[in-house]
Amino acid sequence: MKNINFTCPFCSLLCDDIQLETKNNNLKPLNTSCPLLLSSLKREIKEQFPRINGQKTNISQAIENLSILIKKSKSTLFAGMGTDIKGTKATLEIADIYKCIVDHFSGDSYVKNIKSVQELGGFFLTLSELKNRSDTIIIIQSSYDTAPRLFEKYIFPKDTINNLKKRKIVFIGSKVPQFLYKNIKKISFEHIKLDSVNLLNFLSRIRNSINSEVLEIKDRRLLNFLKLLKQTNYGSILWSVSELDNNINDLIVTEITLLIQELNKFTRFSGLSLSGSDHILTVNEVMLWQTGFPIRTSFQNGFPVHDVNLFSTKRLIDNKEIDLVIWINSFNEKKIIINKKIKTVLIGIPTHPQKKNVDVFIPVGTPGLDYNSHLIRLDKVVTAPLKKVRNISLPSVDQVLNKVKERQFQ
Amino acid sequence: MITKLENARIYDPTNKINGKIKDLFIKNGTIIDKPKRNEKISKIINLKNKIIMSGGIDIHSHIAGGKVNLARLLLPEEHRKYLYSSSNKLRSGSGLGTCSSFHIGYKYAKLGYTTVFEPATLPSNARSAIIEMNDIPLIDKGTYTVLSNDDFLLKLIQKKTDQKKINDYVAWIIQSTKSLGIKIVNPGGINAFKFNQRELDLDEKNKKYGITPRSILKVLTKSLIDLKAPHPIHVHGCNLGVPGNIKTTVKQINAVEGKPMHLTHIQYHSYNNEGDRKFSSGASILAEEINKNKNITCDVGQIMFAQTVTASADTMSQYRNHHFAHPKKWICVDIECEAGCGIVPFKYQDKNFVHSLQWAIGLELFLLIKDPWRIYLTTDHPNGAAFTAYPKLIKLLMDRSFRNDEFSKINKYAQKNSILSSLKREYSLYDIAVMTRAGPAKVLGLKNTGHLGIGAKANITVYSEMDDKEKMFENPYMVIKDGEIVVKNGKIKKVFNGKFYIAQTDYDRNIEKEISSYFEKYIGRKMQNFKIQNQELWDHGIEIENILCDRNDY
Repeated sequence: MKNINFTCPFCSLLCDDIQLETKNNNLKPLNTSCPLLLSSLKREIKEQFPRINGQKTNISQAIENLSILIKKSKSTLFAGMGTDIKGTKATLEIADIYKCIVDHFSGDSYVKNIKSVQELGGFFLTLSELKNRSDTIIIIQSSYDTAPRLFEKYIFPKDTINNLKKRKIVFIGSKVPQFLYKNIKKISFEHIKLDSVNLLNFLSRIRNSINSEVLEIKDRRLLNFLKLLKQTNYGSILWSVSELDNNINDLIVTEITLLIQELNKFTRFSGLSLSGSDHILTVNEVMLWQTGFPIRTSFQNGFPVHDVNLFSTKRLIDNKEIDLVIWINSFNEKKIIINKKIKTVLIGIPTHPQKKNVDVFIPVGTPGLDYNSHLIRLDKVVTAPLKKVRNISLPSVDQVLNKVKERQFQ
Repeated sequence: MITKLENARIYDPTNKINGKIKDLFIKNGTIIDKPKRNEKISKIINLKNKIIMSGGIDIHSHIAGGKVNLARLLLPEEHRKYLYSSSNKLRSGSGLGTCSSFHIGYKYAKLGYTTVFEPATLPSNARSAIIEMNDIPLIDKGTYTVLSNDDFLLKLIQKKTDQKKINDYVAWIIQSTKSLGIKIVNPGGINAFKFNQRELDLDEKNKKYGITPRSILKVLTKSLIDLKAPHPIHVHGCNLGVPGNIKTTVKQINAVEGKPMHLTHIQYHSYNNEGDRKFSSGASILAEEINKNKNITCDVGQIMFAQTVTASADTMSQYRNHHFAHPKKWICVDIECEAGCGIVPFKYQDKNFVHSLQWAIGLELFLLIKDPWRIYLTTDHPNGAAFTAYPKLIKLLMDRSFRNDEFSKINKYAQKNSILSSLKREYSLYDIAVMTRAGPAKVLGLKNTGHLGIGAKANITVYSEMDDKEKMFENPYMVIKDGEIVVKNGKIKKVFNGKFYIAQTDYDRNIEKEISSYFEKYIGRKMQNFKIQNQELWDHGIEIENILCDRNDY
């Protein structure tokens, strides 16, 4: 038994302050009760066989089958993409060779952020700026599920470079932010309860009023909020696009971006999107540098073609525009879509509940548990180094895909 | 195996060879002396009527890192204009100014460049940037780490910490972020912008720390000298792009009191504010200062007329310039209590007065600064133009009649306000070899590249001599990297990765106690994980080339 320093790979905060007790490959966190980490480490690996049509096989046979499927396929989609930098690089190399399409688990929601940046740009900040500068933090309808320790580490800290005393936190949305009520002593907190349409209208009215000299607003809540914004020295607005109303989340993100632009005319404000589940940011960054485009990019023409609607996993599977889908998930057991008319491969963790339901299942380890890795943090700036902490002989996604590549000319 | 390159005319300024016909011998990727009689020459390449220079070195080109990726995200339409198909040897890709990584390598190699430096890596982004740069093949690479706005350093300067301790911090940063040197960007200004200061001149105080850009500039300049760093301080000064900033730039030169300093993209810092439109050329003033102050080296950051995108750590300036965005969208980011970044797309147009004058100012600087050993060819890629514009820029410098033809096409009012057409100077091939090879190698402290002497890396570009210098430089006949032919007749023949340059600094380990506590308390990360380990780079297949801090000409 020994205690080690650990960087957690299970959300895009990549917390590196965790003490882990390790004993015969059992891992127990000693200084955090992060629910995501606890539930992720609870998974008990009873067997780790690759499978073909649900039947156990060996790794080389499974890789052989995957290679044959890719070679035969006329149109392959890489979906899920829960992987690290090296895994993404290996995927893109295969996608280039075999002219595949690449999407991600969080594609449906994250493309709303992508589209907003592509149309308007934005003003953003990173986590330590949030922690040290923001005297006002506005949270738009975000729970802390996707990044459980965000508040503890970056919003309620004792010490800040700017010597912030009591931050003002405003939660706008229909949810009840229990996590904020619980910490009411540490912050000055207000909850503006609005459903999504009213939330959009509220943001829009604020934007239109903030720099206008004549105010025709009588709504006290709105006036108070305007006053707070005007008194802010450095504010930030946080949102999680996956938690916004799917029908208007693109409009809300646009409105937030425009509001931040307006606010910067007289004070300082920045935004932070809390989307980052299943390490979409890691995948997206590697795609951007290697291909010039973010997720939802196809290589079917031999060069990259990006379209946020056309290359959606659900759409491609529903319309059967692909004949092979390769799901990658080295972090969790998130449910995958299986369509019996499309060949389905899962490169996933050994406990995945759908491993017997796919044509080929190849078990892989988790970055930062079973092998050294690099993952990109929520703010897209920091890349964390993660180190192997257990020994259960599971390959990494890139090792599996590199074996597939080696079979290219066989 | 020994290869002989024979009959070519050689331009090798480091070794004072100016167009002499001479044979070169290559063995194991290195240039060697003429082999002994008993040594077998395996391959002879006849290069009659060809010109040889060492591989080009780009001292300042934004090829990787978070800001480049943000620019890619912002401009899918630019990437859709330039699409590259995959082939047996090459990966697919897209883009020009923010070209995807593999094609940056292919394009540089095809232009005869073999070494390129990413000049603005933020400490917290260094790990990603280096991993990204590993996907740029065929060139040797390195980075300069951005300091001068991080709260830790500003606090040290505010507390009047002794120089020795600041040197330890600077050395620690270089070592932890695996860079070749340090870049100053708008010293104190990016930090001041986080406190809503919208401008900061050399002697204005930063609101939070009460210190001036001058004090930061002086301290960091001294640090690199004390550390005997391979490259002196690399400076993007105050007031980038502001009419009248020439006064600040001259004050900056005086502020370092004769100590070595590299001023980058000086075109953006050479604006006067005379005339009806309060915007005029300050090129003559700056050129005179640089000619006089032998401690100063510079690169130009020439603009060329085209759509591009500007990407900089200077959030204060980029925010100020966002009104000029074309198309109308832009990004700014405040980053990790270190600095920031701003992405503003630009379309430089020859009918626009300001853009035309910017173009003329860059060329005036090239022609008025006399010593090519102290001025290097850059477009601040992609800020002034994509690096693929270098051949045209070289033609503008070498061919006065072409230059004057181009000058006659720009905005008429700008023509009236520029002395460009009266400048008779034409660069020679030797001058070009100085400013794109020998000069950058010298100022970067790279001893085994930028020349063709014995022991140099066999990084060699072979050109077919042509009257049209743009054509000559855009399509080298052959490019050799580490002794291997990687490009022939414009086609990539072989793809492999170059090396990654890192300066080997040392520091008193005591500094880590304070840094570690700062990281725990404020940054929310472990210092240990901030530090990039060589093993991580090796795991990604990165080959490191260490450069000693032993510069003895400071």
